[in-house]
Amino acid sequence: MSLSAAFNIINSAFLSNAAQSAVISSNISNAGTPGYSREVANVLTNSYGGSDVASVTREANSALLEQVNASTSQAASEQALANGLAKLAQTVSDSATSSSASGSTENGNSPSAMLANLQDALTTYEASPSDASAGQAVVTAASNLAASLNSGSAAAQQVREQADSDMASSVSTINSLLNQFSQVDATIVGGLATGANVSAAEDTRDTILTQLSQQIGISTATSANGSTSIYTDSGVTLYQTGDVNTLSFTATPTLTAGANGNAVTVDGVPITGPSAPMAIQSGALAGLANLRDTVAPEYQAQLDQIAGGLINAFAESDQSTTTPGLPSLPGLFTAPGATGLPATTDTTGLAASIEVNPAVDPSQGGDVSLLQDGGVNGSNYVYNATGAAGYTGRIQGMIAAITATQSFDPSAGLGSSDGLADYANASVSWLQAQNQQASNQVDYQNSVVSQATAALSNATGVSLDTEMTNMLNIENSYTTTAKLLTTVDDMFTALLDATNPA
Amino acid sequence: MSATFVSTSYLGTALLPTIAQTQSSLANLEVESSTGQYADLGLQLGDQSGYELSLKNQNDLLQTLTTGNGLVTMNLTASQDALNSLVTDAQNAVSGLTAWNSAGGAADATLQNLGVNALQSLIAATNTTSNGQYVFGGLNSGVAPMADYFSSTPSAAKTAIDSAFQTAFGCLPTDAAASTITAAQMQTFLNGPFAAQFSGSNWTSNWSSASSANASAQIAPGETIETSTNANQPGFQQLAEGYAMLSEFGGSQLSSAAQQTVASAANALITQGLSSITATEAGVGASLQRVTDANASMSSQMTILQTEIGNLDDVNAQAVATQLNTLSTQLQTAYELTAQLQKLSLAQYLPVS
Repeated sequence: MSLSAAFNIINSAFLSNAAQSAVISSNISNAGTPGYSREVANVLTNSYGGSDVASVTREANSALLEQVNASTSQAASEQALANGLAKLAQTVSDSATSSSASGSTENGNSPSAMLANLQDALTTYEASPSDASAGQAVVTAASNLAASLNSGSAAAQQVREQADSDMASSVSTINSLLNQFSQVDATIVGGLATGANVSAAEDTRDTILTQLSQQIGISTATSANGSTSIYTDSGVTLYQTGDVNTLSFTATPTLTAGANGNAVTVDGVPITGPSAPMAIQSGALAGLANLRDTVAPEYQAQLDQIAGGLINAFAESDQSTTTPGLPSLPGLFTAPGATGLPATTDTTGLAASIEVNPAVDPSQGGDVSLLQDGGVNGSNYVYNATGAAGYTGRIQGMIAAITATQSFDPSAGLGSSDGLADYANASVSWLQAQNQQASNQVDYQNSVVSQATAALSNATGVSLDTEMTNMLNIENSYTTTAKLLTTVDDMFTALLDATNPA
Repeated sequence: MSATFVSTSYLGTALLPTIAQTQSSLANLEVESSTGQYADLGLQLGDQSGYELSLKNQNDLLQTLTTGNGLVTMNLTASQDALNSLVTDAQNAVSGLTAWNSAGGAADATLQNLGVNALQSLIAATNTTSNGQYVFGGLNSGVAPMADYFSSTPSAAKTAIDSAFQTAFGCLPTDAAASTITAAQMQTFLNGPFAAQFSGSNWTSNWSSASSANASAQIAPGETIETSTNANQPGFQQLAEGYAMLSEFGGSQLSSAAQQTVASAANALITQGLSSITATEAGVGASLQRVTDANASMSSQMTILQTEIGNLDDVNAQAVATQLNTLSTQLQTAYELTAQLQKLSLAQYLPVS
């Protein structure tokens, strides 16, 4: 060993200290940066006994990142669904805060509550059938019921249209993120090949993946050269070695009942919708597609079934003795242009168009007394043949029809046979149950996300205290090295003085 | 790194979700403590929402029926009062006849006055209205059930009786020729052509516009009763026949013997009518009782329903108050901890050189 060797060691110590200080500075300055992974300087003993910073490792944890991304996707999907359901639930919720004593406001504006109001109005009308104001009250209650169905259907349509337009923006976000990802991935692959520090690029890559998982459920795989491939959670390739498979989607601005929105496709293969072979399972896009294609249409179908059931329940049957008998025709409720009663399997769009028959609505020139006597569809349909003022048979028939069992289309999800009032109640139950479930799922998934994020942050984040401790170590090491340098220098001076007598 | 490593960014933000959650829970609890019900019923009840709504709807229906029963009670009470007055009038007529008989049964205007007054009261009572509806009209409650017999233009009933008399005896009761009619002839006329005026199509076309079918209404779910009676019942026909007999033939040119026959026939009819009307009145009383019973039963049902609705909708006020306390303590602790954790940094303790 020579003193000059000691000089070399001291020199490498200074270099190593500087490199470690750089890493610590970077860590400290990014302590608050989301998605930043802590860097660690790997110090090695070099060939002549000094120390070198051989490499800088990024403290990544891909398993935890995957978990964060997966739970983020789930949460985003449930959130999209819950937002839509909350909007739909507003149309049926009975408000607890109402101070009004009247039933209509306390019980909300759901078709179910409005149907009950109609039943109440008919019951009052039955007690005083010749009272025109009681008849008018029936028409008003019927109008409110029709309006409730109209607005419920409009809300379902609005939720679907909003979901459709959100899907469009989600698709454009995904495509833009995929393009960014392809650039970052190229940087990483190139950097790794040349041995450059790619930590910053890797941080960006992870951030993009987390943003992507907000929109769509993904899984990733990293190849030997450091390139990361992205697949949807259903297995469709979105990015692989420089090739971006962009999503394509055409928005549909108007989605009336029964109209289907377009599916999101990758390479011509649909990834949303009930018929998609490889449908995505999570992410906002999946939640929106589920809302647009399954949940909201099902609710809309239930409203249509209620509307069809109403037209049928209040229909007038032939009262004449003509043979063959005439077909039953719409009474109190009808739809514009209706020429007969709707079949239970053919009610699409009825909730949006159902209205009180103009023939009984005084504000449209109609005659309320047709409710008591029948005859909305002409003299063959008059129930009260003698015109007696106290006749209540037709009114009693309508009241009975509200609770009478009738058949419904089972594809609306509420069974095939029920009383109209019970069916309307079941629809409210169905919607609120979906709402409750989605809301609970959102709470649950959000807590999973925050736990996963905490775990990831603890595994890969920066602790200022640790960095500071390391910095103190380096400071001490620097002080000692400087002292060492002075000492060796003194020794050289002493040696030179001894060998060079003045 | 070791499992106990905690990143600074997590340390600083760990309590933020807790604070946000606690704040939103506090907002909900404030609503709940002021309304006494869950802040979002739909979210709270989920698939029980339809059940809760059906309870509320049922409660509203019972309320509506109870209100409607007020009207039914009013109609039935009006019927009862009118029937009561008919009974009183009939009793008075019977005692008037008895008095006339014991006074010797003179052929003067007493019988006629008795008949005219009683018939007028009968018509007035039969045309009783309640809430604008004729209570004895049956279904046909919009038209006065009994035509005015004494109208200035002779009523159809009066004309028909006159013509029947004319056909039988060739003269009117007020003609002098009527004095030759014997008691037996009068009895035959009263039992035959005269009685025919008060039954069948003669009754419905000349006397009564009422419908024989009665109005009915629901007084409780599934319980429908007849809420009116009608003037086509035998009691009304018998009373009208008895009164009309007196008003037409009392004080007329008929012989005293014939008038005795009329009086005794009228007495028999009025007595029959009296018992028939009393039976009708008993029926109305029974209906009134059913309405009262229905109201009582619906009232207790509503209490049960409201209790059940309360079980679903209402929050436990004490639990809410306790929760409010707990949450505000929790929120204060979270704030405190956040501030404390911010101070916990090595940088605070390093000597400044």
